[in-house]
Order: sequence, then C-alpha cells, then structure tokens
Amino acid sequence: MLNYIWGGLIVLSFVFALGNDFKDYYSNTYQNGQLREAQLISADQNASAPFKSLLVISTDTLHVLVRPKAGEIRFSDATVLPILWQKIWQESRAKDNEPFRAEIKTWDKQSGNVTITLPEVHFVKLKAITNAAFNTAKTAVELAIGLVGIMAFWLGLMEIAEKSGIIENLVKVVQPILHFLFPDIPKNHPALGTISLNLTANILGLGNAATPLGIKAMEELQTLNDDKETATDSMIMFLTMNTASVQLVPPVTLIALMGVGVGEILPAIILTTVISLAVGVITAKWFAKKHKMAKGAN
Amino acid sequence: MGILAIVVLPFLIVIIPIIGLIRKVAVYEEFVEGAKEGFQIGVRIIPYLVAILVAIGMFRASGAMDFFTGLLKPGLAYIGFPVDVLPMAIMRPLTGSGSVGVLADLIANFGEDSYVVKVAATMFGSTETTFYVLAVYFGAVGIKKTRYAVQAGLIADLASIIAAVIVCSWLLS
Repeated sequence: MLNYIWGGLIVLSFVFALGNDFKDYYSNTYQNGQLREAQLISADQNASAPFKSLLVISTDTLHVLVRPKAGEIRFSDATVLPILWQKIWQESRAKDNEPFRAEIKTWDKQSGNVTITLPEVHFVKLKAITNAAFNTAKTAVELAIGLVGIMAFWLGLMEIAEKSGIIENLVKVVQPILHFLFPDIPKNHPALGTISLNLTANILGLGNAATPLGIKAMEELQTLNDDKETATDSMIMFLTMNTASVQLVPPVTLIALMGVGVGEILPAIILTTVISLAVGVITAKWFAKKHKMAKGAN
Repeated sequence: MGILAIVVLPFLIVIIPIIGLIRKVAVYEEFVEGAKEGFQIGVRIIPYLVAILVAIGMFRASGAMDFFTGLLKPGLAYIGFPVDVLPMAIMRPLTGSGSVGVLADLIANFGEDSYVVKVAATMFGSTETTFYVLAVYFGAVGIKKTRYAVQAGLIADLASIIAAVIVCSWLLS
C-alpha cells in the first residue's frame, strides 16, 4: 500500500505540475513578452553611466536604476511592485537577492517614453517540485539529526530504568490494560513498560519525550519480530495509537498560534481524539484478525 | 510548554536515576550505554524520512492540493461540511509544518475566534502527522514492509476529520 501511495504522490506531483504549467502557458498568466509603455523622469537623458530615475507606469511611480549600456532598468524596491510583477520577480530570479530587471526595448530620449519587457516566466510548478524535492530531502536529514540528542538522552534514562527494574514494575501495573491491545506481547515483556511510558508522555503532551520513548518501544517490539523488515500486528497497533495521539493538554503549536482561545476548544479536541483513537484501534484489530485468518487458511 | 510538562518532566528525569542509585545500579555507565544508540537511530531514520518527506513536499509544491480541494468542495458543501477547513483535512495526515501553515492562513483570513479556525484547530490537535510518525517509528527499527499500517492510520485520520466537524457543531456552535 505504501509503495502505491509513495509512487502515486510522486507521479501525481509531476502530472499536476505539468498540467498547471500548461495552463499558465495557454492563459499566459505571467504575460510573457508583453510590451509595457512607461515614462522615465530624469534630469540626465544622455548619460551612458547608470543613473537613478523615476519610472511612471500607468498609475504607479517607481524608483529605478537605469543602466543605458546594458539596456535595462533595475527596480530599487521590488516589494512595492504590483503583485503579478512580484510573482514574476520571484519566479524569474536565479538567486533570492537578485535585483528585479526589465529590458528596455525602445527609448525616446526626448520625451523619456520607454517600452519595457519583464523577464519571461516558464514552468513555475516544474521548478517548484524539483526545488521541493531537494529542499525537503535536506530538511528530512536535519529533522533526523535534530532527534539525536534528545533521543540519546531518553535512551540513556531508559537504560537506567530498565537496569533498576522500574520498567519491570511498570509492566506489572499496565499489563492487564495493554494485554487486550497487544495480545502478541508475552507476559512481563519490557515492551509493555515502554509502550505505557510513550502513551503517558503523549497524553500529557510531553512531545519531546514521547518520540524517543516510542522509538524505544518499537525496538522492544522488534526483538519479538521474526521478520525484521515486516511490521507486526503489535507494531501497527502501537503506531495507530500514536498517530491518533490522545492528548489531554492542548498541543504547544496550537497555544502558540491561537493563544488562550485554545482552552475553549480543548473539550472538542479531546472528544475528537478519543473517537479517532477508538476507530484506529478497532480498524487495526480488524485488519490483524483478517490477516490472521488469511494466514490460517493457507 | 504547559504547566504539566514543566512539573512532570524534571520529576521524571530525576526520579529514574534516584531509583537507580537506591537499587545500586551504575547509573552513569548505564546511561552512557543506552545513549550510545541515539546516533545510530537518528541516522537509521534518515532514508525513511527523506523518502516520505520528499514525496509529500513535491505533491504540495505541484499545486495538486488546490485541484483536490476544488474537486471535493461542491459535494462536501452540499452535505454541510465547512469547506474552508478542507485544506487542513487534506494536509494534516501528510505534513506537520504544512498543516501549521494552513492553520496560520485560516487565522489570518478568518480570525482566531471564527468557527472555521476552531474546527481546523480541533482537527490539528486531534491527530498526529501519520506519515511522519510512520517514517520515524518504522525507520528507527528498519521496517520496510508496513502491511496495513497506512490504511489503519488513514482510517483513524478520516474518523478524526469527520468527528471534528460533528463534535464542533455540537459543542461550539
């Protein structure tokens, strides 16, 4: 399933990017090649060295740097340009700090009347998906490496907890509850302890503890797995419970974005998350049963 | 950080070595022994995370999301679904940073107190980014064949989207 979703996402991105670019091409969204009439207001019309000037185009008056030799105009402050122009600037520049240039096509030095063309813009979305691929690949590594420190810290603590028998004690307490969800985990196995710690960290909203504890639990579950490349029913149940993320305190990101308003929707969040957890657990159970039956039939 | 995290975390961090010391465990040595693995796990996750995030990143950049939002809108509006939260519903299982962006947009457009933002925030708060969790947890132990994990995760996500709409219309309006 994941193979199809993954491949599908990549193929769909290409198809949609191409489709959107063709749409832009046919409707000429970026007005490629269009000549624009404007007027340069300047004291020095015959200079060949670059000079500062004002460009009047329809109702706007813009600060520009005229470079007669290069036959171009550079806009001093691209952020005051019309939105479409800003878009053209963003899509046509090679580097973020590149100035926005327009090419001078005709220039009547007496009246200051000029016609200019803006850079052409092609294949915006195709460029965008390529950039997205490279950038997210980089982000993924940063995310993974960013986990290392906090991971090492919690794994160290968990080693102490294990060696001093804390996990063992914990397992005894949570066993009756978790046995229903994870029937394949043998009695008194440390996996039950780490699973319960992860779920507790999730419930209390301890985000940076929950992930390392969850990974530790996955490692424990992996020791019970015969086929190290294939997920077990217990692993999937555990993963599903984590994606449903039962949480009794508002997520940190929501507090940051919404401020105190979060308090009002907390009951809604908790109720929703409990429903999705229940659906997730039932679904995982159903799938596990179906697979077991299919296996038995063979 | 919530008040709970402020209290619970230091307590947990301190209580474990204390119990270790009482039970005569070589706490420093064991800590280092366990922590050793942190780096390998981080590195082991990389290929899984790159694969998942790249595919989702490309999908987002291609503008496909707009197409699907447009496609689903009329039907969903007909059954009374608040269509403005649709980007959140589509984005939430795929990307964490993306859904934060959607929520920030909605807040900018509709205001914090609007019903739309409340529904979107409920969706945001009630599930995790399924594909990210899958990449990290399965990546850490080298699981490639995920069997029915994606299906189960996405069905739970769908349930939370529907539940968020119903629960909000019941509790908040």
